[in-house]
Amino acid sequence: MSGDWIYLDYAATTPVDPRVLEAMQEHLAIDGRFANPSALHPAGRSSAAAVQKAAEAVAQLVNCDPGRLIWTSGATESNNLAIQGVARARSHHGKHLVTMPTEHKAVTDVYKALEADGFELSWLAPEATGVLDPAALEAVLRPDTQLVSIMYVNNETGVVQDVASLGRICREHDVAFHVDAAQAVGKLNVDIAALNADLVSISAHKLYGPSGIGALYVRKRVGLNPDPLMFGGAQQGRLRPGTLAVHLIAGFGAAAMLARESLVDDFAHVKALRDRLWQGIRSTPGLTLNGDLASGYPGILNVSAEGLDGESLLLALEPLCVSTGSACNSQSQEPSAVLRALGVPDEQAESAIRFSFGRMTTEAEIDAAAELYGQAVRSLRALMPEAA
Amino acid sequence: MNDPYSTLTRKLFAAPEHVAASGGEPDTGSSVYTEAQGVRIRLSAVVAGGLITELRFRASGCPHVIAACEWLCRSIEGKPVEALGEFKPAAIMQALAVPVAKTGRILVLEDTARALGERLSRTQDS
Repeated sequence: MSGDWIYLDYAATTPVDPRVLEAMQEHLAIDGRFANPSALHPAGRSSAAAVQKAAEAVAQLVNCDPGRLIWTSGATESNNLAIQGVARARSHHGKHLVTMPTEHKAVTDVYKALEADGFELSWLAPEATGVLDPAALEAVLRPDTQLVSIMYVNNETGVVQDVASLGRICREHDVAFHVDAAQAVGKLNVDIAALNADLVSISAHKLYGPSGIGALYVRKRVGLNPDPLMFGGAQQGRLRPGTLAVHLIAGFGAAAMLARESLVDDFAHVKALRDRLWQGIRSTPGLTLNGDLASGYPGILNVSAEGLDGESLLLALEPLCVSTGSACNSQSQEPSAVLRALGVPDEQAESAIRFSFGRMTTEAEIDAAAELYGQAVRSLRALMPEAA
Repeated sequence: MNDPYSTLTRKLFAAPEHVAASGGEPDTGSSVYTEAQGVRIRLSAVVAGGLITELRFRASGCPHVIAACEWLCRSIEGKPVEALGEFKPAAIMQALAVPVAKTGRILVLEDTARALGERLSRTQDS
Protein backbone atom coordinates (compact mmCIF):
# COMPACT_ATOMS: atom_id res chain seq x y z
CA MET A 1 0.00 0.00 0.00
CA SER A 2 1.37 3.38 -0.95
CA GLY A 3 -0.20 5.12 2.04
CA ASP A 4 -2.81 7.16 0.18
CA TRP A 5 -4.33 4.38 -1.88
CA ILE A 6 -4.34 0.71 -2.79
CA TYR A 7 -3.36 0.38 -6.43
CA LEU A 8 -5.06 -2.50 -8.27
CA ASP A 9 -5.07 -1.03 -11.77
CA TYR A 10 -1.98 -2.65 -13.23
CA ALA A 11 -3.74 -3.35 -16.53
CA ALA A 12 -4.03 0.41 -17.03
CA THR A 13 -0.40 1.06 -16.20
CA THR A 14 2.26 -0.46 -14.00
CA PRO A 15 4.58 1.46 -11.70
CA VAL A 16 8.13 1.74 -12.97
CA ASP A 17 10.35 -0.88 -11.38
CA PRO A 18 13.09 0.88 -9.33
CA ARG A 19 15.72 -1.03 -11.34
CA VAL A 20 14.21 0.36 -14.55
CA LEU A 21 14.32 3.88 -13.14
CA GLU A 22 17.99 3.40 -12.32
CA ALA A 23 18.70 2.27 -15.89
CA MET A 24 16.90 5.31 -17.30
CA GLN A 25 18.75 7.82 -15.17
CA GLU A 26 21.98 6.91 -16.93
CA HIS A 27 20.59 8.50 -20.10
CA LEU A 28 19.41 11.91 -18.98
CA ALA A 29 22.23 14.12 -17.73
CA ILE A 30 25.47 15.50 -19.15
CA ASP A 31 27.52 12.82 -17.44
CA GLY A 32 25.39 10.06 -18.99
CA ARG A 33 24.59 8.57 -22.38
CA PHE A 34 22.00 11.15 -23.37
CA ALA A 35 23.12 12.07 -26.89
CA ASN A 36 21.13 11.70 -30.07
CA PRO A 37 21.78 8.10 -31.18
CA SER A 38 21.73 9.16 -34.83
CA ALA A 39 24.78 11.36 -34.27
CA LEU A 40 28.09 10.07 -35.55
CA HIS A 41 30.23 11.37 -32.66
CA PRO A 42 31.30 9.18 -29.74
CA ALA A 43 28.46 10.32 -27.48
CA GLY A 44 25.93 9.53 -30.18
CA ARG A 45 27.48 6.13 -30.82
CA SER A 46 27.30 5.40 -27.10
CA SER A 47 23.57 6.20 -27.11
CA ALA A 48 23.10 4.07 -30.22
CA ALA A 49 24.72 1.16 -28.41
CA ALA A 50 22.29 1.61 -25.53
CA VAL A 51 19.38 1.58 -27.97
CA GLN A 52 20.71 -1.58 -29.57
CA LYS A 53 21.11 -3.23 -26.17
CA ALA A 54 17.49 -2.38 -25.34
CA ALA A 55 16.28 -3.74 -28.69
CA GLU A 56 18.07 -6.99 -27.97
CA ALA A 57 16.44 -7.22 -24.53
CA VAL A 58 12.96 -6.64 -25.92
CA ALA A 59 13.62 -9.05 -28.77
CA GLN A 60 14.78 -11.73 -26.34
CA LEU A 61 11.62 -11.32 -24.31
CA VAL A 62 9.40 -11.98 -27.34
CA ASN A 63 11.77 -14.14 -29.43
CA CYS A 64 12.20 -12.00 -32.52
CA ASP A 65 14.93 -10.34 -34.55
CA PRO A 66 15.80 -7.03 -32.80
CA GLY A 67 16.21 -5.46 -36.20
CA ARG A 68 12.49 -5.90 -36.84
CA LEU A 69 11.42 -3.71 -33.92
CA ILE A 70 10.25 -0.15 -34.55
CA TRP A 71 10.22 2.15 -31.50
CA THR A 72 6.97 4.04 -31.04
CA SER A 73 5.34 6.12 -28.31
CA GLY A 74 3.35 3.12 -27.07
CA ALA A 75 0.80 0.53 -28.10
CA THR A 76 -1.68 3.08 -29.45
CA GLU A 77 0.86 4.34 -31.96
CA SER A 78 2.03 0.80 -32.69
CA ASN A 79 -1.55 -0.22 -33.45
CA ASN A 80 -2.08 2.83 -35.64
CA LEU A 81 1.15 2.25 -37.54
CA ALA A 82 0.37 -1.43 -38.05
CA ILE A 83 -3.25 -1.01 -39.09
CA GLN A 84 -3.21 2.24 -41.02
CA GLY A 85 0.23 1.58 -42.39
CA VAL A 86 -0.49 -1.90 -43.76
CA ALA A 87 -4.08 -1.24 -44.83
CA ARG A 88 -3.03 1.77 -46.87
CA ALA A 89 0.13 0.15 -48.24
CA ARG A 90 -1.83 -2.89 -49.45
CA SER A 91 -5.01 -1.09 -50.50
CA HIS A 92 -4.25 -1.60 -54.18
CA HIS A 93 -4.59 -5.37 -53.54
CA GLY A 94 -7.91 -5.08 -51.70
CA LYS A 95 -9.71 -3.17 -48.99
CA HIS A 96 -11.22 -5.86 -46.79
CA LEU A 97 -10.13 -5.80 -43.13
CA VAL A 98 -11.07 -7.99 -40.15
CA THR A 99 -11.09 -7.40 -36.39
CA MET A 100 -13.22 -7.93 -33.25
CA PRO A 101 -15.39 -5.59 -31.18
CA THR A 102 -13.53 -6.76 -28.07
CA GLU A 103 -10.29 -5.12 -29.22
CA HIS A 104 -8.92 -2.03 -27.47
CA LYS A 105 -10.18 1.31 -28.80
CA ALA A 106 -6.68 1.93 -30.12
CA VAL A 107 -7.56 -0.81 -32.62
CA THR A 108 -11.33 -0.51 -33.13
CA ASP A 109 -11.26 3.25 -33.62
CA VAL A 110 -8.50 2.93 -36.24
CA TYR A 111 -10.54 0.38 -38.13
CA LYS A 112 -13.65 2.58 -37.92
CA ALA A 113 -11.64 5.48 -39.34
CA LEU A 114 -10.48 3.28 -42.22
CA GLU A 115 -14.04 2.12 -42.80
CA ALA A 116 -15.11 5.76 -43.09
CA ASP A 117 -12.29 6.14 -45.59
CA GLY A 118 -13.63 3.46 -47.95
CA PHE A 119 -12.29 0.22 -46.48
CA GLU A 120 -14.67 -2.68 -45.89
CA LEU A 121 -14.69 -4.09 -42.37
CA SER A 122 -15.79 -7.46 -40.92
CA TRP A 123 -16.33 -7.68 -37.16
CA LEU A 124 -15.83 -11.14 -35.64
CA ALA A 125 -17.99 -11.94 -32.62
CA PRO A 126 -16.41 -13.92 -29.79
CA GLU A 127 -18.01 -16.85 -28.07
CA ALA A 128 -19.58 -16.26 -24.64
CA THR A 129 -16.19 -16.88 -23.01
CA GLY A 130 -14.69 -14.08 -25.09
CA VAL A 131 -12.55 -16.45 -27.14
CA LEU A 132 -12.69 -16.37 -30.95
CA ASP A 133 -13.35 -19.64 -32.74
CA PRO A 134 -10.62 -19.93 -35.43
CA ALA A 135 -13.25 -21.34 -37.81
CA ALA A 136 -15.12 -18.03 -37.57
CA LEU A 137 -12.00 -16.22 -38.77
CA GLU A 138 -11.45 -18.64 -41.64
CA ALA A 139 -15.06 -18.25 -42.74
CA VAL A 140 -14.80 -14.49 -43.12
CA LEU A 141 -11.51 -14.30 -45.04
CA ARG A 142 -11.79 -13.36 -48.74
CA PRO A 143 -9.38 -13.00 -51.63
CA ASP A 144 -9.32 -9.24 -51.04
CA THR A 145 -8.75 -9.46 -47.27
CA GLN A 146 -5.54 -7.59 -46.42
CA LEU A 147 -5.28 -7.43 -42.65
CA VAL A 148 -6.61 -9.10 -39.50
CA SER A 149 -6.11 -7.66 -35.98
CA ILE A 150 -6.74 -9.82 -32.91
CA MET A 151 -5.45 -8.96 -29.44
CA TYR A 152 -3.52 -11.51 -27.37
CA VAL A 153 -4.87 -10.74 -23.86
CA ASN A 154 -8.00 -8.64 -23.43
CA ASN A 155 -7.38 -5.54 -21.34
CA GLU A 156 -10.77 -5.65 -19.58
CA THR A 157 -11.41 -9.34 -18.99
CA GLY A 158 -8.02 -11.05 -19.31
CA VAL A 159 -9.40 -13.38 -22.00
CA VAL A 160 -6.51 -14.99 -23.90
CA GLN A 161 -6.94 -15.65 -27.63
CA ASP A 162 -5.39 -18.59 -29.45
CA VAL A 163 -3.38 -16.20 -31.59
CA ALA A 164 -1.05 -18.89 -32.95
CA SER A 165 -3.98 -20.76 -34.53
CA LEU A 166 -5.49 -17.53 -35.83
CA GLY A 167 -2.12 -16.51 -37.25
CA ARG A 168 -1.72 -19.86 -39.00
CA ILE A 169 -5.04 -19.35 -40.77
CA CYS A 170 -4.02 -15.85 -41.87
CA ARG A 171 -0.72 -17.13 -43.17
CA GLU A 172 -2.41 -19.91 -45.13
CA HIS A 173 -4.59 -17.25 -46.77
CA ASP A 174 -1.70 -14.81 -47.29
CA VAL A 175 -3.37 -12.21 -45.08
CA ALA A 176 -1.31 -9.92 -42.83
CA PHE A 177 -1.90 -10.70 -39.14
CA HIS A 178 -1.55 -8.04 -36.46
CA VAL A 179 -1.55 -8.84 -32.73
CA ASP A 180 -2.00 -6.20 -30.04
CA ALA A 181 0.09 -7.86 -27.34
CA ALA A 182 0.24 -4.89 -24.95
CA GLN A 183 -1.37 -6.88 -22.13
CA ALA A 184 0.54 -10.08 -22.89
CA VAL A 185 4.21 -9.19 -23.26
CA GLY A 186 6.05 -9.50 -19.97
CA LYS A 187 3.15 -11.45 -18.49
CA LEU A 188 2.84 -14.52 -20.70
CA ASN A 189 5.58 -16.33 -22.58
CA VAL A 190 5.10 -14.48 -25.87
CA ASP A 191 6.99 -16.16 -28.71
CA ILE A 192 6.50 -14.09 -31.84
CA ALA A 193 8.13 -16.75 -33.99
CA ALA A 194 5.46 -19.22 -32.91
CA LEU A 195 2.54 -16.80 -33.24
CA ASN A 196 2.56 -16.61 -37.05
CA ALA A 197 2.16 -12.86 -36.54
CA ASP A 198 3.31 -10.24 -39.02
CA LEU A 199 2.86 -7.25 -36.76
CA VAL A 200 2.93 -7.19 -32.94
CA SER A 201 2.22 -4.14 -30.77
CA ILE A 202 4.11 -3.88 -27.47
CA SER A 203 4.02 -1.30 -24.68
CA ALA A 204 6.61 -0.65 -21.96
CA HIS A 205 4.30 0.78 -19.31
CA LYS A 206 2.38 -2.47 -18.97
CA LEU A 207 5.55 -4.30 -17.89
CA TYR A 208 7.04 -1.94 -15.29
CA GLY A 209 8.73 0.26 -17.87
CA PRO A 210 8.06 3.96 -18.50
CA SER A 211 5.02 5.43 -20.28
CA GLY A 212 5.67 6.97 -23.67
CA ILE A 213 7.59 4.14 -25.27
CA GLY A 214 6.47 1.06 -27.13
CA ALA A 215 7.42 -1.00 -30.12
CA LEU A 216 5.96 -2.51 -33.23
CA TYR A 217 7.39 -5.76 -34.52
CA VAL A 218 7.19 -5.93 -38.31
CA ARG A 219 7.99 -9.28 -39.88
CA LYS A 220 10.31 -9.28 -42.87
CA ARG A 221 7.98 -10.27 -45.63
CA VAL A 222 7.46 -9.23 -49.23
CA GLY A 223 4.53 -6.83 -49.49
CA LEU A 224 4.42 -6.07 -45.78
CA ASN A 225 5.97 -2.64 -45.62
CA PRO A 226 3.62 -0.34 -43.70
CA ASP A 227 3.23 3.21 -44.94
CA PRO A 228 4.60 5.69 -42.38
CA LEU A 229 2.19 7.83 -40.39
CA MET A 230 4.71 10.63 -39.93
CA PHE A 231 7.42 12.23 -42.02
CA GLY A 232 10.48 14.19 -41.07
CA GLY A 233 13.64 12.16 -40.85
CA ALA A 234 15.51 9.03 -41.79
CA GLN A 235 15.32 7.38 -38.39
CA GLN A 236 14.03 3.80 -38.24
CA GLY A 237 14.07 3.42 -42.00
CA ARG A 238 11.78 6.48 -42.34
CA LEU A 239 8.92 4.32 -41.03
CA ARG A 240 8.85 6.20 -37.74
CA PRO A 241 10.97 9.33 -37.95
CA GLY A 242 12.04 11.43 -34.98
CA THR A 243 14.89 11.48 -32.50
CA LEU A 244 14.86 8.34 -30.41
CA ALA A 245 14.12 8.81 -26.70
CA VAL A 246 17.16 6.96 -25.39
CA HIS A 247 16.18 7.10 -21.71
CA LEU A 248 12.74 5.65 -22.45
CA ILE A 249 14.13 2.97 -24.73
CA ALA A 250 16.75 2.04 -22.14
CA GLY A 251 13.98 1.81 -19.56
CA PHE A 252 11.96 -0.39 -21.88
CA GLY A 253 15.00 -2.63 -22.37
CA ALA A 254 15.63 -2.89 -18.64
CA ALA A 255 11.96 -3.69 -18.01
CA ALA A 256 12.05 -6.38 -20.70
CA MET A 257 15.15 -7.95 -19.17
CA LEU A 258 13.51 -8.01 -15.72
CA ALA A 259 10.28 -9.38 -17.14
CA ARG A 260 12.15 -12.23 -18.79
CA GLU A 261 13.86 -13.09 -15.51
CA SER A 262 10.68 -12.96 -13.43
CA LEU A 263 8.04 -14.15 -15.91
CA VAL A 264 7.28 -17.42 -14.11
CA ASP A 265 7.35 -15.88 -10.62
CA ASP A 266 5.21 -12.91 -11.68
CA PHE A 267 2.60 -15.19 -13.23
CA ALA A 268 2.41 -17.40 -10.13
CA HIS A 269 2.22 -14.29 -7.93
CA VAL A 270 -0.73 -12.68 -9.76
CA LYS A 271 -2.55 -16.00 -10.01
CA ALA A 272 -2.33 -16.49 -6.26
CA LEU A 273 -3.55 -12.92 -5.70
CA ARG A 274 -6.42 -13.27 -8.18
CA ASP A 275 -7.54 -16.51 -6.52
CA ARG A 276 -7.29 -14.89 -3.08
CA LEU A 277 -9.38 -11.91 -4.14
CA TRP A 278 -11.97 -14.11 -5.83
CA GLN A 279 -12.28 -16.19 -2.68
CA GLY A 280 -12.68 -13.00 -0.70
CA ILE A 281 -15.53 -11.55 -2.75
CA ARG A 282 -17.24 -14.47 -4.46
CA SER A 283 -19.91 -14.81 -1.77
CA THR A 284 -21.11 -11.24 -2.39
CA PRO A 285 -24.81 -11.50 -3.30
CA GLY A 286 -25.55 -10.84 -6.98
CA LEU A 287 -21.91 -11.08 -8.06
CA THR A 288 -21.10 -12.14 -11.63
CA LEU A 289 -17.70 -12.97 -13.07
CA ASN A 290 -17.03 -11.39 -16.48
CA GLY A 291 -14.55 -13.62 -18.31
CA ASP A 292 -13.19 -17.02 -17.52
CA LEU A 293 -11.01 -17.86 -14.51
CA ALA A 294 -9.66 -21.06 -16.01
CA SER A 295 -8.42 -19.76 -19.35
CA GLY A 296 -7.94 -16.04 -18.74
CA TYR A 297 -4.77 -14.17 -17.78
CA PRO A 298 -4.91 -14.19 -13.95
CA GLY A 299 -3.62 -10.65 -13.52
CA ILE A 300 -7.14 -9.37 -14.29
CA LEU A 301 -10.39 -10.06 -12.46
CA ASN A 302 -13.57 -8.44 -13.82
CA VAL A 303 -16.77 -8.69 -11.78
CA SER A 304 -20.23 -7.13 -11.78
CA ALA A 305 -22.56 -6.55 -8.83
CA GLU A 306 -26.20 -6.79 -9.81
CA GLY A 307 -28.14 -3.53 -9.89
CA LEU A 308 -25.30 -1.20 -8.90
CA ASP A 309 -23.94 1.79 -10.78
CA GLY A 310 -20.28 1.33 -11.71
CA GLU A 311 -19.36 4.97 -11.16
CA SER A 312 -20.85 4.97 -7.67
CA LEU A 313 -19.17 1.69 -6.91
CA LEU A 314 -15.83 3.09 -8.04
CA LEU A 315 -16.19 6.11 -5.73
CA ALA A 316 -17.41 3.99 -2.82
CA LEU A 317 -14.34 1.77 -3.25
CA GLU A 318 -11.86 4.61 -2.66
CA PRO A 319 -9.02 4.52 -1.63
CA LEU A 320 -8.96 1.42 -3.79
CA CYS A 321 -7.78 2.25 -7.33
CA VAL A 322 -9.55 0.01 -9.84
CA SER A 323 -11.31 0.58 -13.15
CA THR A 324 -14.75 0.41 -14.64
CA GLY A 325 -13.97 -1.17 -17.99
CA SER A 326 -10.71 0.02 -19.48
CA ALA A 327 -9.06 3.14 -18.12
CA CYS A 328 -9.23 4.71 -21.53
CA ASN A 329 -13.02 4.33 -21.30
CA SER A 330 -13.36 5.94 -17.92
CA GLN A 331 -14.69 9.22 -19.29
CA SER A 332 -17.40 7.46 -21.26
CA GLN A 333 -20.79 6.78 -19.72
CA GLU A 334 -21.48 3.95 -22.15
CA PRO A 335 -21.26 0.37 -20.88
CA SER A 336 -18.13 -1.45 -21.99
CA ALA A 337 -18.20 -2.50 -25.65
CA VAL A 338 -16.04 -5.48 -24.69
CA LEU A 339 -18.57 -6.80 -22.18
CA ARG A 340 -21.44 -6.08 -24.56
CA ALA A 341 -19.69 -8.19 -27.21
CA LEU A 342 -19.51 -11.03 -24.70
CA GLY A 343 -23.29 -10.84 -24.39
CA VAL A 344 -23.19 -9.25 -20.94
CA PRO A 345 -26.44 -7.29 -20.40
CA ASP A 346 -26.00 -3.51 -20.09
CA GLU A 347 -27.19 -3.48 -16.48
CA GLN A 348 -24.51 -6.02 -15.57
CA ALA A 349 -21.85 -4.26 -17.64
CA GLU A 350 -22.62 -0.94 -15.92
CA SER A 351 -21.50 -2.31 -12.56
CA ALA A 352 -18.36 -4.00 -13.88
CA ILE A 353 -15.18 -3.42 -11.92
CA ARG A 354 -11.78 -4.51 -13.19
CA PHE A 355 -9.20 -5.45 -10.57
CA SER A 356 -5.70 -5.94 -11.97
CA PHE A 357 -2.61 -6.94 -10.05
CA GLY A 358 1.10 -7.05 -10.54
CA ARG A 359 4.57 -7.66 -9.25
CA MET A 360 4.31 -5.16 -6.37
CA THR A 361 0.80 -6.16 -5.18
CA THR A 362 0.70 -7.71 -1.71
CA GLU A 363 -1.66 -10.15 -0.03
CA ALA A 364 -2.53 -7.44 2.51
CA GLU A 365 -3.69 -5.19 -0.34
CA ILE A 366 -5.83 -7.97 -1.75
CA ASP A 367 -7.43 -8.62 1.65
CA ALA A 368 -8.12 -4.90 2.07
CA ALA A 369 -9.59 -4.76 -1.44
CA ALA A 370 -11.94 -7.66 -0.73
CA GLU A 371 -13.09 -5.98 2.48
CA LEU A 372 -13.62 -2.62 0.73
CA TYR A 373 -15.54 -4.25 -2.11
CA GLY A 374 -17.91 -6.00 0.28
CA GLN A 375 -18.49 -2.78 2.24
CA ALA A 376 -19.08 -0.72 -0.91
CA VAL A 377 -21.59 -3.18 -2.34
CA ARG A 378 -23.46 -3.35 0.97
CA SER A 379 -23.60 0.43 1.39
CA LEU A 380 -24.86 1.07 -2.16
CA ARG A 381 -27.41 -1.73 -1.92
CA ALA A 382 -28.70 -0.08 1.26
CA LEU A 383 -29.57 2.97 -0.86
CA MET A 384 -31.34 1.11 -3.65
CA PRO A 385 -35.08 1.55 -4.05
CA GLU A 386 -37.40 -1.21 -5.09
CA ALA A 387 -39.49 -0.67 -8.19
CA ALA A 388 -43.04 0.62 -7.83
CA MET B 1 -8.04 14.57 -15.00
CA ASN B 2 -9.22 16.70 -12.10
CA ASP B 3 -11.47 15.27 -9.42
CA PRO B 4 -14.88 14.88 -11.09
CA TYR B 5 -16.61 15.33 -7.74
CA SER B 6 -16.85 18.46 -5.63
CA THR B 7 -16.11 18.29 -1.91
CA LEU B 8 -19.82 18.63 -1.16
CA THR B 9 -20.72 15.85 -3.61
CA ARG B 10 -18.20 13.56 -1.97
CA LYS B 11 -19.50 14.42 1.50
CA LEU B 12 -23.16 13.87 0.67
CA PHE B 13 -22.44 10.67 -1.27
CA ALA B 14 -20.28 9.20 1.48
CA ALA B 15 -22.64 9.86 4.37
CA PRO B 16 -26.24 10.50 3.34
CA GLU B 17 -28.46 11.16 6.37
CA HIS B 18 -31.85 11.05 4.67
CA VAL B 19 -32.01 7.49 3.38
CA ALA B 20 -35.43 5.87 3.81
CA ALA B 21 -35.39 2.94 6.18
CA SER B 22 -36.97 0.55 3.72
CA GLY B 23 -36.70 0.27 -0.04
CA GLY B 24 -39.93 -1.58 -0.51
CA GLU B 25 -42.55 1.05 0.22
CA PRO B 26 -45.47 1.00 -2.19
CA ASP B 27 -46.54 4.04 -4.20
CA THR B 28 -48.68 5.65 -1.53
CA GLY B 29 -49.91 9.13 -0.96
CA SER B 30 -46.53 10.09 0.51
CA SER B 31 -44.11 8.22 -1.77
CA VAL B 32 -43.18 8.44 -5.47
CA TYR B 33 -40.91 6.19 -7.55
CA THR B 34 -39.31 7.23 -10.85
CA GLU B 35 -37.03 5.30 -13.21
CA ALA B 36 -35.38 6.93 -16.24
CA GLN B 37 -31.94 7.65 -17.72
CA GLY B 38 -30.47 4.70 -15.84
CA VAL B 39 -31.50 6.34 -12.57
CA ARG B 40 -34.00 5.00 -10.02
CA ILE B 41 -35.29 7.29 -7.29
CA ARG B 42 -37.92 6.94 -4.58
CA LEU B 43 -38.85 9.98 -2.50
CA SER B 44 -41.12 9.73 0.50
CA ALA B 45 -42.35 12.38 2.90
CA VAL B 46 -44.10 12.93 6.18
CA VAL B 47 -46.25 16.05 6.29
CA ALA B 48 -47.63 17.81 9.33
CA GLY B 49 -49.51 21.09 9.26
CA GLY B 50 -48.63 21.68 5.62
CA LEU B 51 -44.93 21.34 6.32
CA ILE B 52 -42.63 18.53 5.20
CA THR B 53 -41.30 17.26 8.49
CA GLU B 54 -39.42 14.34 6.94
CA LEU B 55 -38.16 13.84 3.40
CA ARG B 56 -36.37 10.57 2.66
CA PHE B 57 -34.92 8.99 -0.47
CA ARG B 58 -33.61 5.78 -1.86
CA ALA B 59 -31.71 5.90 -5.16
CA SER B 60 -29.60 3.98 -7.59
CA GLY B 61 -27.40 5.99 -9.91
CA CYS B 62 -24.13 7.84 -10.17
CA PRO B 63 -22.57 9.69 -7.21
CA HIS B 64 -24.03 13.01 -8.37
CA VAL B 65 -27.56 11.57 -8.31
CA ILE B 66 -27.16 10.18 -4.80
CA ALA B 67 -25.59 13.40 -3.55
CA ALA B 68 -28.36 15.41 -5.25
CA CYS B 69 -31.05 13.34 -3.50
CA GLU B 70 -29.43 14.00 -0.13
CA TRP B 71 -29.03 17.72 -0.97
CA LEU B 72 -32.70 17.94 -1.93
CA CYS B 73 -33.85 16.28 1.30
CA ARG B 74 -31.71 18.60 3.40
CA SER B 75 -32.97 21.66 1.51
CA ILE B 76 -36.67 20.85 1.55
CA GLU B 77 -37.21 19.43 5.02
CA GLY B 78 -39.12 21.86 7.21
CA LYS B 79 -40.55 23.75 4.24
CA PRO B 80 -44.12 23.76 2.90
CA VAL B 81 -45.20 21.03 0.47
CA GLU B 82 -45.14 23.59 -2.36
CA ALA B 83 -41.35 23.76 -2.09
CA LEU B 84 -41.11 20.39 -3.86
CA GLY B 85 -42.73 21.90 -6.96
CA GLU B 86 -40.49 24.95 -6.83
CA PHE B 87 -37.31 22.91 -6.80
CA LYS B 88 -34.83 24.18 -9.41
CA PRO B 89 -32.39 21.67 -10.92
CA ALA B 90 -29.96 24.50 -11.67
CA ALA B 91 -29.53 25.10 -7.95
CA ILE B 92 -28.36 21.53 -7.35
CA MET B 93 -26.22 21.52 -10.48
CA GLN B 94 -24.44 24.61 -9.19
CA ALA B 95 -24.19 23.53 -5.56
CA LEU B 96 -22.72 20.14 -6.40
CA ALA B 97 -20.88 21.14 -9.59
CA VAL B 98 -22.73 18.49 -11.56
CA PRO B 99 -21.36 18.10 -15.10
CA VAL B 100 -23.69 19.36 -17.82
CA ALA B 101 -23.67 15.88 -19.38
CA LYS B 102 -25.57 14.65 -16.33
CA THR B 103 -28.36 17.23 -16.53
CA GLY B 104 -30.85 14.56 -17.61
CA ARG B 105 -30.27 12.60 -14.43
CA ILE B 106 -30.93 15.65 -12.26
CA LEU B 107 -34.11 16.27 -14.24
CA VAL B 108 -35.26 12.80 -13.17
CA LEU B 109 -34.93 13.99 -9.58
CA GLU B 110 -36.86 17.15 -10.46
CA ASP B 111 -39.68 15.05 -11.97
CA THR B 112 -39.77 12.87 -8.86
CA ALA B 113 -39.86 15.85 -6.52
CA ARG B 114 -42.63 17.56 -8.50
CA ALA B 115 -44.66 14.35 -8.65
CA LEU B 116 -44.32 13.92 -4.91
CA GLY B 117 -45.33 17.55 -4.36
CA GLU B 118 -48.45 17.12 -6.50
CA ARG B 119 -49.37 13.91 -4.73
CA LEU B 120 -48.92 15.44 -1.29
CA SER B 121 -51.02 18.45 -2.32
CA ARG B 122 -53.85 16.19 -3.49
CA THR B 123 -53.68 14.24 -0.24
CA GLN B 124 -53.89 17.46 1.75
CA ASP B 125 -56.83 18.71 -0.32
CA SER B 126 -58.86 15.51 0.00
